[in-house]
Amino acid sequence: MFKKLIEESTAKSPWLFHINSGSCNGCDIELVAVLTPRYDVERLGFKLAGSPRQADIVVVTGPVTRQSLDRVLSAISQVPEPRCIVTMGSCPQSGNVFKGSYSVCAPLSKYVHVDVDIAGCAPKPEAIIDGLVKATEILKEKRGQM
Amino acid sequence: MTVFLTGLQYLGYILIFPGFLFCFFCGLLLTGIDRKLVARMQKRVGPPLLQPFYDFFKLCGKETIVPAAASRTTFLVAPLVGFAALVVVQLFIPICGFSAFTGMADIIVILYLLLIPALAAILGASASGSPYAGVGLSREMVTVIACELPLVLVLLAVAKAVGSALGTGLCFSVSEIARYQVENGSLITRPSMIPAALAFALIIPGETGSHPFDTAEAETEICEGMHAEYSGAPLAIFKLTHAVKLLTVTSLFVALFLGGIGTGIAAVDGVIVFALCVIVTALFVSFVHAVTARLKIEQVFKYYWTVVSGLALVSLVLAWYGL
Ligand code: SF4
Repeated sequence: MFKKLIEESTAKSPWLFHINSGSCNGCDIELVAVLTPRYDVERLGFKLAGSPRQADIVVVTGPVTRQSLDRVLSAISQVPEPRCIVTMGSCPQSGNVFKGSYSVCAPLSKYVHVDVDIAGCAPKPEAIIDGLVKATEILKEKRGQM
Repeated sequence: MTVFLTGLQYLGYILIFPGFLFCFFCGLLLTGIDRKLVARMQKRVGPPLLQPFYDFFKLCGKETIVPAAASRTTFLVAPLVGFAALVVVQLFIPICGFSAFTGMADIIVILYLLLIPALAAILGASASGSPYAGVGLSREMVTVIACELPLVLVLLAVAKAVGSALGTGLCFSVSEIARYQVENGSLITRPSMIPAALAFALIIPGETGSHPFDTAEAETEICEGMHAEYSGAPLAIFKLTHAVKLLTVTSLFVALFLGGIGTGIAAVDGVIVFALCVIVTALFVSFVHAVTARLKIEQVFKYYWTVVSGLALVSLVLAWYGL
């Protein structure tokens, strides 16, 4: 019963940690827009965590520049299990308009397992909420397997 | 046999009401109400009322990481110490006429025990070996010192007001104060106590580390400050301590200034006191949270040592002249 309770709670209280890996700031602003009164993801229990140690879902924006790659990977490795990695925007998935640049390491999925991709440049708030809710379902599954 | 029964009774006090279980449920519920109210005041839908419970159980199910630079035992035990101290404080705070533990000078015991959660958090933070926690703990220390002076002055004013009415000089017993209020009506109706009540109300957000006095836990600038390295179950206990502290401080406010409102039946009084706590939280925590932004640490200090201490001092002088 206790296990069930924890599983249910995991889906209902996902805390986000946001990493900017050289994004143009478009996606970052959209992520913050999702927290404003108009969309208010806090009603689903989402909250921005200040430290990776307290996060459940890592949201990565930006094309993963060479400078930021090590930092992104070390921040992700500090997130306790069960965790979910979400890429936001086209940048971390393909490199977007920055593809082919000597300083860009995208896609992120070459380096870590990515659970959810939210496509768009920048994605619509509705798409972001949809992606985050999918991530909570994966989170719950992962907790069930622990 | 009687010894056994009294032991059982005290165990009930400690574990169920008004101890551990009561603190757990009411503290988390009060925080949920606070979060919902803030959201509604900001025109948001807000999290469900039970959100703090979900957060707590989720954190219990997460992996606990102890940093390599941390001193393991202190890091893990600190949250438990803080929580245990708060539960003990709750045992001393009377609910209308009823209090589990009484004593000659329980105000002083409460004053010291209220410090322990903050000290435990500081201890845990310094054991974690993180520079962010270092900044957070220095700010927390300043906040604690800032709140302490006005709190002592408020308690002195109350002790003097009740003491001179009873003819005993200073009355340092909360249960005595509660009994006095049951017989003579709430202290807030006395003109000399109004500034003190206001001062205490202004201390509540500082004591509980709520906006705009959450400088020590500024999540946007110093990664949650003292809790930067905490994860999993220890973090859950810290969050629980935070929630229970809101309950403790508001119920202390109710016991000191709004006492005597009740029926004499313990269970009904519990509900009434909780309702009063919700009202106090709504007025002085949620509303303040919704309309203010975070202060700088020196502004917090200055505010508490001038405005709030001034109010408390006015009350103390008035009480001394027997108003
Ligand atoms: S996906 Fe588009 S909006 Fe987002 S960071 Fe990349 S370029 Fe900017």
